[in-house]
Amino acid sequence: MTELLTSPLFAITAVLAAYQLALWLYEKSNRLVWLHPTISGALLVAALLVLLDIDYHRFSDAAYWLTFWLGPATVALAIPLYQQWHLIRKMAGPLLLTLIAGAAFACLSAVAIAWYLGGSETTLLSLSAKSVTTPIAIGISESVGGLATITASAVILTGIVGIVFVNLTMKLCRIDDDRIWGFCLGLSAHAIGTARAFERSPVAGAFSSLALCLTGSYSAVFIPLALQWFR
Amino acid sequence: MKLSGLITLLLFHLLGEAIVQLTGLFIPGAVVGLLLLFITLLIRGQLSGELEQSSKTLIGFLPLLLILPSAGIFFLGENFNDQWLAFAGAIVAGTILTLVFCALLMKLMVRQHD
Repeated sequence: MTELLTSPLFAITAVLAAYQLALWLYEKSNRLVWLHPTISGALLVAALLVLLDIDYHRFSDAAYWLTFWLGPATVALAIPLYQQWHLIRKMAGPLLLTLIAGAAFACLSAVAIAWYLGGSETTLLSLSAKSVTTPIAIGISESVGGLATITASAVILTGIVGIVFVNLTMKLCRIDDDRIWGFCLGLSAHAIGTARAFERSPVAGAFSSLALCLTGSYSAVFIPLALQWFR
Repeated sequence: MKLSGLITLLLFHLLGEAIVQLTGLFIPGAVVGLLLLFITLLIRGQLSGELEQSSKTLIGFLPLLLILPSAGIFFLGENFNDQWLAFAGAIVAGTILTLVFCALLMKLMVRQHD
């Protein structure tokens, strides 16, 4: 039976079913932030694994066929980036400076706080890419010596914190401009933030997608370089 | 069903991986593929409908693809028990600080820019 429970057939069926159920829950709850399909789907899969006493890593390996698509999905981000190129060019200066300083701040603040709170080296390295969209973050984390599972979890938690606190922080900073609202949320909270930005306005969504792509590409170069320099 | 969009994405991913293998770059191959595809699109100045559709579909499935890595948060192991404070503290405080930092910085620059 263990054979079957850790087979690709079972693993992929279970994840797809969890996703479908999670999507239904999310729509039923009127898109409650805490029930985002990634969050509720992960909870459902985790519950199943605990209930049936299945090893997470064996299960995860079995569903490799699904995880594989994260690579092409990353490449696919080139298309929205290309489509929004005319918006970038118009504001290139402020966008690039915010990107360069903000993405560095996102990485270094997390590493510094975790270090202050007594985190291990692996934890610090895994947190470095927390504001980057998952497919890129996992690649960065593995290249600097972090763990993919910790990084994936850090990225998801970052997204949730971002959308929960975005209203409060933007009000605090007196931001009404949708371009700023979207870009900052996409930079800090990647894809989950971008989905939230589209709920505010198309402009906020466009600028958030932009930040998502730019932060991912820039961090892929910046984080390994910065961490190499620190060592 | 046409596969040309999907094949384009896979080919650029492959190209990215090949470049990473050949040069020993520490950037993920998929990111190199993203940048190459973006540059190619800029040079060509046009986007095929099939590529746009494939991209939209794959990006739309991101929440599904992220479920399994996310579930890993519950299986970080007993070794991770003493890391939770640092982990959660860094994420909550770091993310809020990043939002404020970016917002203030960008507000300042957009005001000067406009």
